[in-house]
Order: sequence, then structure tokens, then C-alpha cells
Amino acid sequence: MPAAQPEAILASRRALPRPPVAASRAVEAEGGCGVIGIASSEPVAGRHLLQALRQMRNRGNGKGGGIAAVGLDPAFFGVPARVLAEDYLLAIATLDRSVRSHVERNFVEPVFVVDHTAEIPLLAGAQASLGLDVPPPEVTCYFVRVREEARAAFGRAHGIADPAAADDEIVYQNTYRLNRELYASTGEKRAFVLSHGKDMLVLKMVGYGEDVIRAYGLEDFRASIWIGHHRYPTKGKVWHPGGAHPFIGMHEALVHNGDFANYASISSYLAQRQIFPLYLTDTEVAVLAFDLLNRVYGYPLECVIEAMAPTTERDFSLLPEDRRDLYRKLSAVHIHGSPDGPWFFLIAQSDPGSRSKRLIGITDTSMLRPQVFAMQRGSTSIGFAASEKQAIDAALESLAAEDPRYWSRADLFWNARGGSHTDGGAFTFTVEGRAGNGGTAGPGNGGTLLYCEDKFGKRIEPDATKRAPTGVVKPTGGRGPNPADIVEEIQDPVASFETIRARIPGWDYVEVANLLEELEQAARGGGDRLEVAALLTLLMDRRYSMGAMKRSCVLSMVDRAMLRVLEGARGARTGRCVWFESGAPAKDAKGLDSVAIVDGRGYPAEGPRSLARAIVELHGRGFRRILVFGVRGQRFIGCGLGPEVDGLAIDVYGSSGDYLASGMDGPAIHVHGSAQDQLAQIMKDGTLVVHGDVGQTFMYAAKGGSVFILGNAAGRPMINAVGRPRVVINGTCLDYLAESFMAGDPLSGGGFVILNGITFDEDGTMRDLESPYPGGNLFSLASGGAIYVRDPERKLTDDQLNGGEFAEMAAGDWEVARPFLEENERLFGIPLRALLTVGGRERGPSEVYRKIRPSRHKALLPEEGWVRPEG
Amino acid sequence: MSAIPLIVEKHRHALHAGFHSWPTLGFLPPALGDARWTPELILATWVQAEIGRPPRNGAEYRVGRSEGGFDLLGFRSVDSERRIPDSDPIDTSISLNRRPYDRKLEIPVPWYGAGMSYGSISEQIMLARAMAAKEWRTFTCTGEGGYPDSVAEYRDHVITQIATGMFGVREETILRAPIVEFKYAQGAKPGLGGHLLGDKATMAVARMRESVPWVSLFSPFPFHSVYSVEDHKKHVDWIKAMHPEALVSVKVSTPTDVDMVAVGSYYTGAHILHVDGSYGGTGAAPEIAKKNIAMPIELAIPRVHRFLSSEGIRDEIVLMASGGIRTAYDVAKAIALGADGCVLGTTELVALGCTRCSNCERGRGCPFGLTTTDPELSALVNPEWGRERISRLYESFRWQIEDLLRGLGIRSVRELRGRTDVLTYRAAGEAHAGRAA
Repeated sequence: MPAAQPEAILASRRALPRPPVAASRAVEAEGGCGVIGIASSEPVAGRHLLQALRQMRNRGNGKGGGIAAVGLDPAFFGVPARVLAEDYLLAIATLDRSVRSHVERNFVEPVFVVDHTAEIPLLAGAQASLGLDVPPPEVTCYFVRVREEARAAFGRAHGIADPAAADDEIVYQNTYRLNRELYASTGEKRAFVLSHGKDMLVLKMVGYGEDVIRAYGLEDFRASIWIGHHRYPTKGKVWHPGGAHPFIGMHEALVHNGDFANYASISSYLAQRQIFPLYLTDTEVAVLAFDLLNRVYGYPLECVIEAMAPTTERDFSLLPEDRRDLYRKLSAVHIHGSPDGPWFFLIAQSDPGSRSKRLIGITDTSMLRPQVFAMQRGSTSIGFAASEKQAIDAALESLAAEDPRYWSRADLFWNARGGSHTDGGAFTFTVEGRAGNGGTAGPGNGGTLLYCEDKFGKRIEPDATKRAPTGVVKPTGGRGPNPADIVEEIQDPVASFETIRARIPGWDYVEVANLLEELEQAARGGGDRLEVAALLTLLMDRRYSMGAMKRSCVLSMVDRAMLRVLEGARGARTGRCVWFESGAPAKDAKGLDSVAIVDGRGYPAEGPRSLARAIVELHGRGFRRILVFGVRGQRFIGCGLGPEVDGLAIDVYGSSGDYLASGMDGPAIHVHGSAQDQLAQIMKDGTLVVHGDVGQTFMYAAKGGSVFILGNAAGRPMINAVGRPRVVINGTCLDYLAESFMAGDPLSGGGFVILNGITFDEDGTMRDLESPYPGGNLFSLASGGAIYVRDPERKLTDDQLNGGEFAEMAAGDWEVARPFLEENERLFGIPLRALLTVGGRERGPSEVYRKIRPSRHKALLPEEGWVRPEG
Repeated sequence: MSAIPLIVEKHRHALHAGFHSWPTLGFLPPALGDARWTPELILATWVQAEIGRPPRNGAEYRVGRSEGGFDLLGFRSVDSERRIPDSDPIDTSISLNRRPYDRKLEIPVPWYGAGMSYGSISEQIMLARAMAAKEWRTFTCTGEGGYPDSVAEYRDHVITQIATGMFGVREETILRAPIVEFKYAQGAKPGLGGHLLGDKATMAVARMRESVPWVSLFSPFPFHSVYSVEDHKKHVDWIKAMHPEALVSVKVSTPTDVDMVAVGSYYTGAHILHVDGSYGGTGAAPEIAKKNIAMPIELAIPRVHRFLSSEGIRDEIVLMASGGIRTAYDVAKAIALGADGCVLGTTELVALGCTRCSNCERGRGCPFGLTTTDPELSALVNPEWGRERISRLYESFRWQIEDLLRGLGIRSVRELRGRTDVLTYRAAGEAHAGRAA
């Protein structure tokens, strides 16, 4: 959409009354929050968002929650699809019923033709039943068009020719006036505009995000795009719904996790453009800046993102020349409007011109807030962005439970690299092809198309050659291509796995279902439960070809089988397995080989009755093997077990939460799947194996331990680690790997990181990543330890280092690294020989790996000569 | 045979003689102290550390001559008939947990010792402080440099600090601690993490921190895992998951929005909010940080106290103040401004002979064997002697606070909190109207 006279639009705002309070400091203070966004080719009901928000409750404090929905269901409002698509949906919250006629008389009727009015029904007794501090506002939706005469007058007065631009600006200014008079003025807060864009609705209140869905009965309300937010404000005894997220621009709503430091600077940047915030929170200025760049200036999305999160440092220098020119100009003009500090924005947007809808996730340049993206593509397609992976898992699980078109695992999970030349730190999910529900069919499946692009327009696509099942997959009871022998050799799960690995490429989903059914049968007696679990674990953990089937679909089936196999231990009286669940009394181990099977689903995420404390208790009662399944974001697993724990093994299945293994000293923890943020902080000793990716600040200030990561680590892994941590990361890291690493001399007992820079495709084939480490600040200011990076093509360059230097991989280095790569092979099935094979030929370690070591630091001060070596 | 023990003994003797006789000489040593820590104040602290009472020769032991901060505050005089007789008990204890839940913990004096790391100070000094804390049933704090095994014997009186570099912090050292302190920032260098210059990172220090010897150790400015209040809550929850019995203290410096930080800490479940003002710290902070950033503690305390009160949560969180608390009168003033109690760092070092020469960043810069881990210099302090000195200082402080409370007609130090009405303020340059100091 070309810009329609930005100067005229901005000039037209000069007549607006100024806010009663000047914006110099964000009065509303809050820190991080919980956010999730969903974009789906097929509209999704609110209850699935509810499930995700419920599980992220600990990211808010109940003082503000909100949702935005885009691509709505016209039936919900009782309007024809055309009205939903073409009218502005003016949603007004009233905190005081008596103000409604005033609102209509002064802010609706003079400006708009009202095609339809609908009230959002509020759950009876919502305040009491949801335990809310403040009653939720009453919400009226007006489907309106700008009056011809109002448009003509506005166009004449300000010289704005484009009717669509004039309409938008009229709506925008009308909202500003309403909010200023009835919300932001110093008196009683009476009413405010929740949203005014087309085909979109914002609802928010004082409470948790999921309370909003419950209070307004949105469980069955369907939308193509959802964003949800829990707020964590830390000031004030009295909260108002207007302060909750999302905040709106024009046809978009924004939620935010984080806070930034330059509120005053952005406010003055906006003031120079006749934009004045009314709610005094940093989130509001963020969306005002977005609207300015997007609508008023009409910048392409890439430029909007660049203006908000500029590409910096080495990444900037790696951009193509034309981009550098463009970005330099953007920075010159907009750097003062660029939020500085930790933030992650999720934006839900409708584009009335093209009738497409978008979910945009943008992370700050330094990636200081957690963020994860995901996508699943079958007969419908769905995309996610959230502050935690477990929230995405929760939404998918909720969807899969009632709709066979979804399954519980996403095809892809990934993190954005903020301010980078690779993905630009932003991803957009676009839903195209229909005008609201029931509109005309467009391209793609089910009449709509969902696709995901990074900032530069590069598509993110699951492997299109793989097919999801059509409809429900049920076992036929048949023995398919003979799983009987697999079940017969179950005492040797590794051999069984190898048999399956060889056969599964030729199977279909029914055959997989048949095998799983057989395995469940075998486990039912109880004798072989742990062996079946071990086989299912290998099916989950290993990367191998599944023929034409999607890995995520097969693994969703394996997950369900695993759940049933382990749930079978609940009533079992015989065998080694002892069942535990939240609230059940703890029991002593029956012997050294007793295995505690813990159903993680009912445990709170933290606190005295948390899963973490239950594990500590079980360890105290003599269990040496603990198998935890159904984990739903519970934090601190493996914390609190105490020093020098010997011979304890913990297996974790499901969506494990933050801080897993932090402080661990001795146990072995295997995470069967991806893990979240802050893993293995200050870890001292023991083994941590993650069959997937790990999140932010992994192994911060770790002292030791052996750690194996199958996938990638997000930002800031290993910062300030000391002592003797030995880590293998088979993928790569976003940024700041091993900053201030101080782990002695790797050749005499110190620590190191082996970075393999590989990935696996959908068929389980190992491939080299484009670069083993795409970022800068590698091994910055490190004084000890080393990084052994697999970089046969010598792609890494000196400018990625800061205080480190490349060196040859000497025989001594290989001697310390090799055992860890052999263990890596055993754990993940990544053959050492394959790692050393480049271009079809196996090479010597020094041809494939490079060492990064600290460059010589400043010579000792003369005075230090006084100190004897053994002080 | 090595002559070192003899040399150490000789120096020790000379130092102890000096700490004893300088305050008695009737003239001030040249080049001692500064306007905040005047020569009189340093000498008076030495006297208190020896006799357990304020000096009796009329030397000033309550305020300095900075013409700012606590030096401009005094206490009102009260009619002598309202004075509480010496026979009545005065309560100087404070609670360190005012939440309705979790372990109740009281200390008999309204202060505990500040975090000073192994590396910034010697093991002997850590021991002396821990022994004094045990004797007084209060606390000292590890700082961020590990928890020497010798100190573990005093674990019931030692706070484990977790700071941004997490040096020497292990689950084991967290599990030892009755109180775990998160140090987000320190008043001496707000916005910066801890610094230990290469000179002080000796073999022994590096071993304790598991780092590389002779390399400067810079703790990150923030916790890389905490960029928001919800991250901070998770951080606190982590400690509670490891060690549910521990109380949690949050140490922050005094930025202009320290009140918001305070409320944020309250909501995350912290028991103690420790606000560290800008006068504190040893000489081992960069000049730019020492002299230019953060709010003086006497401004921060009432601001936080009032804000917490207006939010209705003041009585659920303990507010401890530090950063320039030199004397018993400073402690009382901080409490009258709104703190529950104070945290003492430099004062304890002065009791052990520190002259505020500000050479602390050098490995062999401290002539008294305090802020050094040099094996010879640190031998100058015998922990038992150190315990005695700190203990006597505490005794003097308690006596003064009791005396002050009697004079004000207040029976408990808890009732002094927020009583700005008992304070007097004089403009710089004027003499005090009310009671001395």
C-alpha cells in the first residue's frame, strides 16, 4: 500500500488536544510477560489459546490480561461477511454504563454510519467466579463506516485525497479524542476504545489473559489470528483494564514482553510527528511507532522492522550493499524511535486492502527476551510465536485433542536471531485468501493459505514432500509388515529400534499405529513396560527417515503411545515401576532398581508442591531412576537435589520448563525433546542430554558437567562458565557463545565447547548448516577453555571473535574432544566418522575442526611476580 | 627455616600498637581519611573496636564533615523525664522475615554484615566477620567469590550471595545458607558488575572461583538470565525450589526508580529488600562509577519506605540499607528515615584497621592485610583478633543505639522506623540545633 501523503496526515493531527500528562517517563512499570500468537489457515477457537495462556500463568501476576483476534467469525456478531470485511469494528469498553449514550452521541454518531451494533456478552458474575480484582469492562462493538460528509470535510481540510487513508485517520483521531476525554483525563476512567481496525477485536481487563477468554465467553469464538498476553505490572494498588495489552495502532494490535529504556526518547520522536501516547506504557508507544511507519509512512514491512530493530555490528556489514544503503537511511531518520532494551513484540494485523491477516513476531537486536516460533502444516496450516515453547505445545495439544487435522507436535520450531543479516529477527505468518469466515475460497488447502516469511521475505517451509494423515489414524489390528518380531525382541530395545528404522520408510500411518498398539499390548502386562518405553524413547529421540510420513505426525503418535504405556504403571502392583502423581503420598523405593514413574501433568510449575520438589523427595526416598512424563512447562526439574549426587538418572518427557538442571551436581538428566531457557545454570557436575534445542542463557556460570545438545542453543550460552564444563552442541547458537569463558586449560582438565554446526532434514540426513556459527561475539573476552568448532570450509572469520583466536586442532585437543564425540555418537546416533567426512572423504580431525582459544591477555603486572605460584 | 612468621608477627605487633596508640596521641595522623570518614571517625572506630564503647576523650564518633547526607542529620533532644531509665530493657532486635509465611528469623541487633567476596578480602577477614556474626547471632555475607570451607562452620550466620558472575556459587553453597542474597547491583558501582582486577585474582582466588589465575574477573552488568521482573520472579522461585527454607534478599542499588524496583521485588516474593546507596564499596570500583552514579542512600530510604507504605505492603518486606553506614548514629538515622536495619561493610574493615587509603584494587595494595589475598599480607590479621574487634564495635553500636532510644523515649528499634520526626536537619555550614550529631 503506497503511502498516502504522510505529511498531510501528520499535519492533520495538530488540532488534536494534547494529553493531560506529558509523556516523559513510563508511569506504568512492568517487566516481562507471557505472550503467545497463533495464525491459522483455518480459524481457531479461543479455548486453544486459553490452554496456552493458562500454562503460562506464572509469567503474569493477574493485574492485566488481554487478547486480540483478527479474521473473525461474522456469525458471532450477527453481521454479514461483507460488513465484517468492509466496516471498521469499533469496540468500546465502558467501565461505567451511564457513559454509553455520551459515547454514542459524541464519538459514534457524528462520524460514522452504524451498520450493526453487538454487545460482547459478559459471563454472569464474571468478577466473582474468576476472582477478579476489578470488574471486566462492558464491551460494545459498532460496525461502522465513515460518513461521506465527514470524509469529504476531512479531505478538504487537510488535503488528503485517498479515501481509505482519510477514513483510517478519521477513525484513529476519533479514538484518540475518546480515549483522551474518557480515559486519560485526570478524572474518573469511564470508557476507552479497545480496537477500531477492520476484521479485528481486542479485549482486555485486569486479570490473566485466559480470564479474558472466559469472561467474554470466547472459548468457541473462532479467529484466524490470535494473540494473548499476561501482564506483570509492578506498580499501583489500582489497575485499569486500559493499561493491559494489547495496544492498538490502526488495523493492528501489539503485545509485548519486556520493557525498554528509551521511552522518553521514543515519546519525543513521536511528539515531533504529532503523536501523543495516552496510557503511559512503553507498549503503547511501540505500537504507535509501528502504525506511524506502517500506515502513515507506508513503509514495506521489512523497513518497518528495520526501523524498530536495526541491524547492527557484524551483521550489518554482511548485508548486501543496497540493503546497507537503505538501512543506513532508515537509521538516520528513525533511530530515536527504535525501542532500546529487552523486548519481543507480537503483532496481529488485518490488511483490509488485500484482506490478508498477519501475525508478526519481532525480537530486539540483542535477543534479550525469550522467543520461539513454530509451524505445523497438514490439511490446515498453523503457525505460532510465543515466549515459551511449552505454551505452543499446550495450544497444539488442545487442538489435536478435538480436531484430527492437527497433531500435538509442530513440524518446525525455531528462534529468531535479532537484528541479524540472516533472518532479521522477525517472522511473519500471513493468512491469505478469504474474507472473514465463509468468504470466497482462495488458493491453497481449505480455501486459505498460510505462509511464513522472515524479515527478508525468505519462506520458512516444512518439507513439502511429506504428508500428514488424512483423518483419524486408527490401528486396524492387522500386523502390517509384521511388527511381531519387533515385539518379540523387545528385551533389546536398540535392536528393535534398528529393525523399525530399517522398515519404517515403507510404512504408512496405519502401520505405525498397528506397531504402537502391539507395543502398548506388550507393556500392558507390566513386565516389559520399561523396555517398551525405552524403544518408544529411541523412536522419539533419533533422527531417521519415515518415508512419506511427517516426522511430527509419527512422533505425536509415539507420544500418545508413550503416555498410555507409562499411565499403565498407575495401577500396577508388580514390576519395578512405582507410580506417582501430584497430591499422591510419596513412597519409598522398593529396591535399587525401582523406577519412579511420575505423571507430571498435575504439578504446579513452581513452589513447595512443584514437580521439582517431588523429584527431590523421591530421590530422598531411595529412587535412583525417575521417569517424569507429561511435563507441561514445570520449572526447576533437577534442582535442589544437593551436592555430589551419585547414580541418579532422570528422564524427562513432554514440555520441560525453565531452569532445568540448574545447580545440578552429579545426576544424569535426559530431556527427550527440546528444553527451554536457563538450563544448567551453575551446573557443577553430572550429565545433561537434550534431544532437541535449548533456550536462552544455557549453562550460565556453569562450573562443570558433561552436556550434550542434539540441536541448537539460543542466545548467550555458557556465559561466565568456569571450571570444567564439557559441552557438545551439534547445531549452532544465536549469539554470544561462551562470553567470558574462564574454564582453565582444556588440555589439563579445563572446559570446552564442541560446536558441530549440523542439522538434520526431515529424512534424518545430517547436513551442514550454512555456517557453524552465524553471529558475532564468539568466545568474547574469554580467558580460559576452548571452542572446538567443526568448520572444514573455514567459514568462521576473525571478525566473529573478540579476544579469542583461531588455532590448529592439535593431537592433544583431539584426545580430549574425541571421547565426547564418541559419547555424542552413542547418545544421538551421530557417527563420529560422518562428522569427519567432508565432501565424501573422511579427513583428519585437524582438517575438520578448528580450535578457538583465548588470545594472550595482558602480561602480568610486575608486582604479581611477588606472589608465589601456589598462593 | 622461613623468617616469614617472625616478620608477620613483628608487623602485626606494630600495627596493633598503632591502632591502640594513634587515637590517644592528641594529634591527628597526616593524610588519614576524608570528609566522610574523617580522621576522628576512623580513630574513634578503632577505639570502639578496642573498648566496646565510644571514645571518652571527646573525639567525634558519630558524624563526619562531608556537609551532606547523614552528616547533616541529627536527633531531637527529648525532655529528660521522658528518658527511659537504664533499668528498663530496650529492644534492638529486628525481624528478617515479615511475610506471614516461611521461616521466622530475628537478629538481636538491627544490622548484619555486607557481602565482601573472597578475593576482595582475605579468608582471615571473612572468618573474623563470620565469627563475630555468630557471636552476635546476626549474619555476614559471602559476597561473590565462593564460600571457603573454613567459613562453612559458621553457616547459620552466613548469607550466600548470588551475583551476576555467580563465581563460586553452587547448589551446595546455596543449600548452606539461611538467607540467599541476589545481588543485582551495588551502590559503589551501579550498572556495573563486580570487578576483581587481575592483580587480586591469585592462584587461590582463581581456584575458589574456578577461573584462570591473574586474569581480571568482571561479573556481567546484569544477570543474563534476568531482563525483567518476571524473570526475577523465576530467579527467586529457583532458589525456593532448591532451598525452600531459605529467606531471599534482593540487593539493588539506588537508581531514580528504586521505588519501582522495590515493589517489583516485593511481588516476586523476596523477604528482604537491600538498598545499597552510592557512598559504599571499597576503593576497588572504577572512578567513574564511584563518583558519578546512583542516589545517596539517605534519599533512597525514605523514597522506598514511603512508596512501599503507600502501596500497603511496607509491613511485609524488610528494608535493609547500606552504602555509607559508618556509625551507630548512621544506623539509627537510616532506621528513622524508614529502613528496618542496616548492612555494614566498610565500617567493619575500619574496625580492623582500614584507613580508607583506597588501594583496595591492588593485590598487594592493602598495608593492613584486609583487602588482599596475598598470603603474606593477609597473615597480618588473625581471625580471632578480628572477631574481637568487630564484636567490640558491635557492642559499642548497640550501646549507642540503646542510649539514643532511651533518650528519645522509644523502647524498641522497630518503633524508630520511619520516625523522621525525631530527626533534625541543618543546612550545610550551620551548627546543629538539637542533640549532637
